Amino acid sequence: MAQTAATTDYLGLIKNGIFKENTIFKLALSLCPSIAVTNNLRNGVLMGVAVLFVQVMVNITISLMRKFIHARIRLPIFMLVISGWVTVTDMTMAAFAREAYKQMGLYIQLIVAFASILARAEMFASKNKMVPSMFDGIGMGLGFLFSLTIISFFREILGKGSLWGFPVFDAKPLLIMILPAGGFFAVGLLMGLFNWVSTRNGSKSH
Amino acid sequence: MTVKDILKITLNLVSIYLIGGFILTMVYAKTSPIMYRNAVLEKETALKNLIPAADKIEKIGDWSIHEKHAEYFVARKGDAIIGYIIQSFGKGYSSYINTLIAVDKDFRVQRISILGHAETPGLGDEIEAEGFKKQFYGKDTEHLKVLKSDTTEYVQAISGATISSRAVAEDAVKNGVDFLITTIREKGAEHGADSSNN
Repeated sequence: MAQTAATTDYLGLIKNGIFKENTIFKLALSLCPSIAVTNNLRNGVLMGVAVLFVQVMVNITISLMRKFIHARIRLPIFMLVISGWVTVTDMTMAAFAREAYKQMGLYIQLIVAFASILARAEMFASKNKMVPSMFDGIGMGLGFLFSLTIISFFREILGKGSLWGFPVFDAKPLLIMILPAGGFFAVGLLMGLFNWVSTRNGSKSH
Repeated sequence: MTVKDILKITLNLVSIYLIGGFILTMVYAKTSPIMYRNAVLEKETALKNLIPAADKIEKIGDWSIHEKHAEYFVARKGDAIIGYIIQSFGKGYSSYINTLIAVDKDFRVQRISILGHAETPGLGDEIEAEGFKKQFYGKDTEHLKVLKSDTTEYVQAISGATISSRAVAEDAVKNGVDFLITTIREKGAEHGADSSNN
């Protein structure tokens, strides 16, 4: 991770999160939710937004606290901060987005255990100032949102013939796509595509 | 580890618990009344939608299924009893499916509504679809059976979600209606009497 973009290049930080260090397609972290909640577009997007919010808030909090935290207990403290923000998200969603919460409440609580959030807290936020940490959080969160959106787009349209719950065509071309097995196919194929495109683009610019 | 380290660690933990606890308390205080109001409102509208003709729906008792507490209600129009509503649970694939069932005076299913569940998204959650729920309308307990083949006489299973379909039809709805039949017939003097007077 030594080649993370310079910490004052905010646009670079965001791009880094979306492309170069894309949580799912590049780092292959947090693959569990990328399969569990992506069988319809709405859940995929909402999960992405929830993670984006938690990631940004955690990064801001950790970078503000980084000088006061004793190195020996930094990981437990990170976990406390993460679970605090996840609980805030959980309660807010339960109150204001009841319908969606009924379907994905369990996964919202599981954000606590997402490797990607802890990893960013440890690798970036605990070593950088607040503003770059915030942009790093935005980048990583957007990368996650972007990946989940693509995965759930393909899974819902292929598996159910609908998008965001609205029927697009009256058929279920590939029912397997909304089953757990289809999640592995979708993530694997899209990860391959993503990396193929980025290697090609990378080799051109050299 | 020096005394200074120990002090710093203690201070770190104490302050983060205090601040975190304070923030969570604030959020909880703001959101919990909304959550509670939503849940109550949701139940009321669910009951109303089940028997739209009724002008009064009253709770008449409690029962339990799968060790879960549930309630049942009588629906009246004027003074006449026009039906009953019972809450029931079915043991599904990955959760207990919380269901409301409305029946008419003769215990034929009028409508059902799924209040909550955690079935597989995309498959089991098709039990919420109108097309599935519609199959129950007008059925008596004899016909609350799930078939995998095409059927209108019985309930047709959702493809890929037979267990969830069974849980609704053969567990939640059937047991709920059976319970209503035995209970209301037993207590017939109590509940039946005031309706026969009208």
